[in-house]
Amino acid sequence: MMNRAVIEGSALAVLALSILTIWFRARYKARPASDGGYLTREELQFELGRLQDEALRWLTTTNHREIGILYIAFGTIAALWGGMDAMMLRTELLTPPADIWTPETYNALFTTHGLTMLIFFVLPVFFGIGNYFLPLLIGADDMAFPRVNAIGFWLLPPALLMARFGLIVQIGGQVLSIFLPDDQIMFFLSLREVSVGWTLYAPLSVVQPNPQIDLLLLGLHLSGIATTVGAINFIATVIYERADGVTWGNLDIFSWNMLVTSSIALFAFPLLGSALVMLLLDRNLGTTFFATEGGGPVLWQHLFWFWGHPEVYILFLPATGLMSLILPKFVGRKLFGYQFIVYSTLGLAVMSFGVWAHHMFTSGVDPRLKASFMAISIAIAVPSAIKVFNWLTTMWDGDIKLSAPFILCAGGIGTFIIGGVTGVFLAVIPIDILYHGTYYVVGHFHLIVVGIIPMLMIASSYYWYPILTGRWYDRRLAKFQSGLLIVGAFVTFMILLVIGGMGLPRRQAIYPPEYQLAQQMATVGSYVIGLSAVMWLYNMLVSYWRGDVVQSTDPWNLKATNQFTREWQWFEERMVEKYDMEPAQPETTRRSYAPELEPMGLLGGVGSVAQNVYRNASMAAVAGFIGTFLMTGGIGTAIVIGVLDPASFAEISELVGLGTSAIIGAALFLAGGTIIWPLLFLSFQEFLPGRRMFETGLVFATLVATGFSVAFYTDQQGLAFVGYLTFVFVAHWAYGLGLAVTFQFLRSRRTDMGA
Amino acid sequence: MSDESILFTYIAPFVGVLVVAVGIGAAVPGGYAIIQEDITTCDSPTVAVEGPEETTERFNESRPRTLPTLYYENLSEAEQTAFDEALADPIGEARVTGDFPNGDTIRNGSIIVYEGEEHYATVVAENPCFVAPELQFPLGVFAIIFGVIGILSPPIYRKLVELEERANVE
Repeated sequence: MMNRAVIEGSALAVLALSILTIWFRARYKARPASDGGYLTREELQFELGRLQDEALRWLTTTNHREIGILYIAFGTIAALWGGMDAMMLRTELLTPPADIWTPETYNALFTTHGLTMLIFFVLPVFFGIGNYFLPLLIGADDMAFPRVNAIGFWLLPPALLMARFGLIVQIGGQVLSIFLPDDQIMFFLSLREVSVGWTLYAPLSVVQPNPQIDLLLLGLHLSGIATTVGAINFIATVIYERADGVTWGNLDIFSWNMLVTSSIALFAFPLLGSALVMLLLDRNLGTTFFATEGGGPVLWQHLFWFWGHPEVYILFLPATGLMSLILPKFVGRKLFGYQFIVYSTLGLAVMSFGVWAHHMFTSGVDPRLKASFMAISIAIAVPSAIKVFNWLTTMWDGDIKLSAPFILCAGGIGTFIIGGVTGVFLAVIPIDILYHGTYYVVGHFHLIVVGIIPMLMIASSYYWYPILTGRWYDRRLAKFQSGLLIVGAFVTFMILLVIGGMGLPRRQAIYPPEYQLAQQMATVGSYVIGLSAVMWLYNMLVSYWRGDVVQSTDPWNLKATNQFTREWQWFEERMVEKYDMEPAQPETTRRSYAPELEPMGLLGGVGSVAQNVYRNASMAAVAGFIGTFLMTGGIGTAIVIGVLDPASFAEISELVGLGTSAIIGAALFLAGGTIIWPLLFLSFQEFLPGRRMFETGLVFATLVATGFSVAFYTDQQGLAFVGYLTFVFVAHWAYGLGLAVTFQFLRSRRTDMGA
Repeated sequence: MSDESILFTYIAPFVGVLVVAVGIGAAVPGGYAIIQEDITTCDSPTVAVEGPEETTERFNESRPRTLPTLYYENLSEAEQTAFDEALADPIGEARVTGDFPNGDTIRNGSIIVYEGEEHYATVVAENPCFVAPELQFPLGVFAIIFGVIGILSPPIYRKLVELEERANVE
């Protein structure tokens, strides 16, 4: 079994180093080039002094925008940490037995993944977005209590450290055990990551002696205090700090949602705090709130879910607020049914406190009570559906701009519909009893928490990037990343829905082999989500230094559709003040498109195919040699790892009557690659699909590879066959690209010389 | 001619990401399978041992007649070490690294008598070694490299277009 602490610690360290390297590299490249010389001591001292000043400023700031950025950065770090847990637990599920991590490690991974993501990632990021933009949206100077705001944030880092202290101590213990005997470092060896599940169900959480559970409870309690403090601040800000003209009737939807979210948090989190203290007392002071005898483990479930279900809406409502705010901007229409969206948000807030026992349908709660919870759980779908209908109606007949924020909004609606509808089934008692302990539940809620929630976080990061940085993000990469996230989320969690529907139990490191392919596909999907998250982070970091500078005070052309909201007005004022920019005027004409140009003769000249071939034969030979050289790398590797039999080359030699010699065959193969195939390519490439020569080169190589794969096949089976085909095609693509690119390179040089 | 190609700007990197994701899924466990014997002690089961009070509480007055009883002195050295470690462990678990002659008995739960006190012991995890085909690692690494090339295809494509446009200026 692998050592989880060392692996996760190293992976996180590599990630952190990569982020720092990318950041400093981008920053270094963005600065003016030096005129020579070397770094002096004074320069170094200046740089250190600057870093010291920056650190002091960020540690003591009470500016709502800076605290917002701190929240977002903190939430991102937590997301990377919790995401690493997810990647590790999905890796375990590549195979049916628990043969990569132990079952206990697997249990710890899904416990810490859940807690880190739900408590330390989602709400901090939304509080960050709220901190930055809510005062701008309502025309306030700052949050109502700026210092309380700073305290609220600074309670979170120690809370996260306490909650995840097990990993830190485990790594510390393993480092210390190299130098010290075990009995001197017992403390470090006795703490480990909590593995009782994120719901911390009693009696397991009471009786398990791992001291890290106590630290986790304290960390969660601290984070609850931070959330309550933040919630009070948002409520006071929205009620008392609105600018003149901002009324309840025209308050933007995101601020409405932050207000409602904060109100839910205000009622839910103190109760979680009480329950956590009771659990701490049970564990350490001999009270029996949740003991099997004298108390009730079911009481813990009641208290936990009385917080836990509203928590779902605490996480989800800010995302719907962002959706209602951002979506209209990219369809050129105003939000449809503003009032109904506000009412649905308020309705969700109230109802969210009346559905908690649907998490406990398999426990011994009175069936008559269960029925009432079932009714409200089904009914809570109505306000959610109102939102969806309003979003769809907003898009209807709109002028859709296919940018990254819109793609994410559309993907978010899609995942929300599937995640929501599958939840309605779980609200029905008999269905819940059947699916409660299966992957169906995991698929259902992940379509929300890895669907609309992160999608709208990312959409808002793109939408407001010009305000945050004054620059544009890489828009092509953003579109790509958005599509990738949507595909990854759908693949992963739809598969989980299906295997859960087939009855596969969740929370198990070991599963029956017939589910292996489905689990492997879900794991690959989860890696795709991970890669898309990394791409988003890369885009955010690098574009901060190297993105195109925003040249307009209305970068999204919102004035054209009369949606130039307050935060953009603030941005405009700032740009005018700082850079003396002219306030943007909306364009009244549509952009016209340049007509498609006719494809050029790909050899760039006139004349017959034969003349072209003659003219270019020498260059073709050189290009063929380079292509063959590249191809040999692929073919050679295939031979080394044993997926291609070198003896099959003997057949070429036999074919031309030179006996069965593999060496002669290989020589003929090389000669063919250098002379014959390039000439064939040049003769036929005009008739092959593809606009560019390297595209036709790839098509040509694919055709040749198909023939090669049949001719050189020597009965490879299974993985060896997959490897054989892969290497054959990739080696040929290398040939095709090498051939075409070298050829064009030589031509471009001839052209340059001619010029 | 438009310099945007849907194939090389979006489809190729998308396939690249999929190939990288599959490659990670193959290379990480595949690499682990190669080095696991050097860095881990797989095939050594985890045994959970309960204290005398928990053992009494567990069975109360209804101990199954078939529950076998073993004596600490009769356990193998590895079993004894694991038993001692499990008693000292915060969650009462330890790995049996070495000879495990009483494995079949302990696997289904048994009572171990130690210094006159009874401890319930059972195997809670088998910790089998990970088995992977030999080709999984090299093919996984190859897939990652190939996928990364796919992901980088948009800038590569733009470079190639630039090259071709230079070649076509005559």
